[in-house]
Amino acid sequence: MSTHTLHAIVDDLGALLLFTMILILAAGQIYRAIYAVAAQSLLIAIAGAVLAKATGNVDLWVIAGITLVVKAIVLPWVLHWVVRRMNVRREVEPVIPVAATLALAVAVVVMSFHLSATLGPVHQAITGNALPVGIALTLLGVLAMATGKTALTQMVGLFASENGIFFTAMAVTQGMPLIIEIGVVLDVILASLVMAIMVLRVRSTVDADIADLDRLRG
Amino acid sequence: MTGERPLGLVLLEMALLLVLGPLVTGAIQKLKARLQCRQGAGVLQPYRDLAKLFRKGTVQADTASGFFASIPVLVLAATLTASALVPVVRAGPPAFPLGDAVMLLGLLALARFLTAIGALDAGGAFGGMGASREMTVAPLVEPVLMMVVFSTALAAGTTELGALAARRGTSWIFAWSAADFLGFAAMLVLLPAETGRIPVDNPDTHLELTMLHEGMLLEHSGPGLGCMLLASHTRQIVTLGLVSALFFPAGPADGAGAAGFFLGALVFAGKILVLAIYLALVESSYAKLRLFRVPEYLGVGFVCALTALALRIL
Repeated sequence: MSTHTLHAIVDDLGALLLFTMILILAAGQIYRAIYAVAAQSLLIAIAGAVLAKATGNVDLWVIAGITLVVKAIVLPWVLHWVVRRMNVRREVEPVIPVAATLALAVAVVVMSFHLSATLGPVHQAITGNALPVGIALTLLGVLAMATGKTALTQMVGLFASENGIFFTAMAVTQGMPLIIEIGVVLDVILASLVMAIMVLRVRSTVDADIADLDRLRG
Repeated sequence: MTGERPLGLVLLEMALLLVLGPLVTGAIQKLKARLQCRQGAGVLQPYRDLAKLFRKGTVQADTASGFFASIPVLVLAATLTASALVPVVRAGPPAFPLGDAVMLLGLLALARFLTAIGALDAGGAFGGMGASREMTVAPLVEPVLMMVVFSTALAAGTTELGALAARRGTSWIFAWSAADFLGFAAMLVLLPAETGRIPVDNPDTHLELTMLHEGMLLEHSGPGLGCMLLASHTRQIVTLGLVSALFFPAGPADGAGAAGFFLGALVFAGKILVLAIYLALVESSYAKLRLFRVPEYLGVGFVCALTALALRIL
């Protein structure tokens, strides 16, 4: 696979990743956000496989497989399970209007492209547009966390943000050492389990969501 | 693939779009009916409706001014002119100065404006409501459509649709750059809005307060209503043709000859059919959005289009 094709494919996947991120930000229902984050993880797994094919790095194949299983299948399933257990209203109520969130998203995307264009020599060494897309994904994930009122939307935002970091790391370094990647994935699994249990416990004890906790007095 | 399109071919393409427009609506309605486990009317039903309307007499509101009667003809004329700008059977610029994608969007906007003016002119409550809603949604749709066109035009270096399609060549999705994916995503979000379908508008109801486009047609009757319906069928196929010219450039037919023409027309019909199936599926699987939710929905398209432009420029 030539470098040009590789760059083109990584660029295309980056565009699709941005699209899923926009869907997460605009999702009116929690299920849609979960499906979008699952699709995003699937795209990252594909990106990993493409990079593995191009660089011949066996570790990347393993990472792509782990990403596929853990992030595209297990994590969405856990989120789904929490939603079903909680019996929450399925509609998402953001802190600021969705239109404002989307406007902020545009600003973030333009800013990260501008930022990486000014990096010059660093930018040259990186596959295609992976750096600006990665920065944008990470920041947009944070945006999704900040605008989400419920713990679940914040979890989705966190996973999306993590996906962004993962994508950047993969494309920039052409594959990090396997042990680090496995550590990261384990952290994600652990974090998701802890958060899921937390959310359910908070729900069953005080019958409130994260947004209500600022009014909590001892 | 390249080569200029002579006047005769452009006229032939216009006629083709005019004739095929109702068929697309019929096909979408049939598909929707089948998805709802109904038999549904035949795909030729829109033609029968049009034939019926053109035979009927006209009834007009007392409050309507003299301008009201000419509205349907003007709307149909604007839409038909727009249809001349879409390459159908083969790519390539027209052999004479005609107009570009900006003009196409302008003509569609003109048709929309005239429709709204007509609805207000008749003085009916529904018409005014429909018009005000249509004018709320239109400023959200049109700029995004412009941005999608521009993001594609930037790569090709021209806004003339035929030349743009020719520049892109027949290469399929593999030749798409990153911006094309986002632009196409924006287009898929916009298509139901531009063709007046769920989740933005509901084409099936005439008496619900949720409708936009149909509300504006209530005061028209007889041949006038026929013209308006024909215009909206044509508008739909023109929009679908615009999408296929921007993202799936026109057919493989190389130049003259009846065989080339038919092959090109067949390929075009195939592309339109795929987009029509998409519209039917979206309409069957989503509920109509509340009017205040529509800007959020269209916001997704806006962000996608802007990101596509950013990818092209930055």
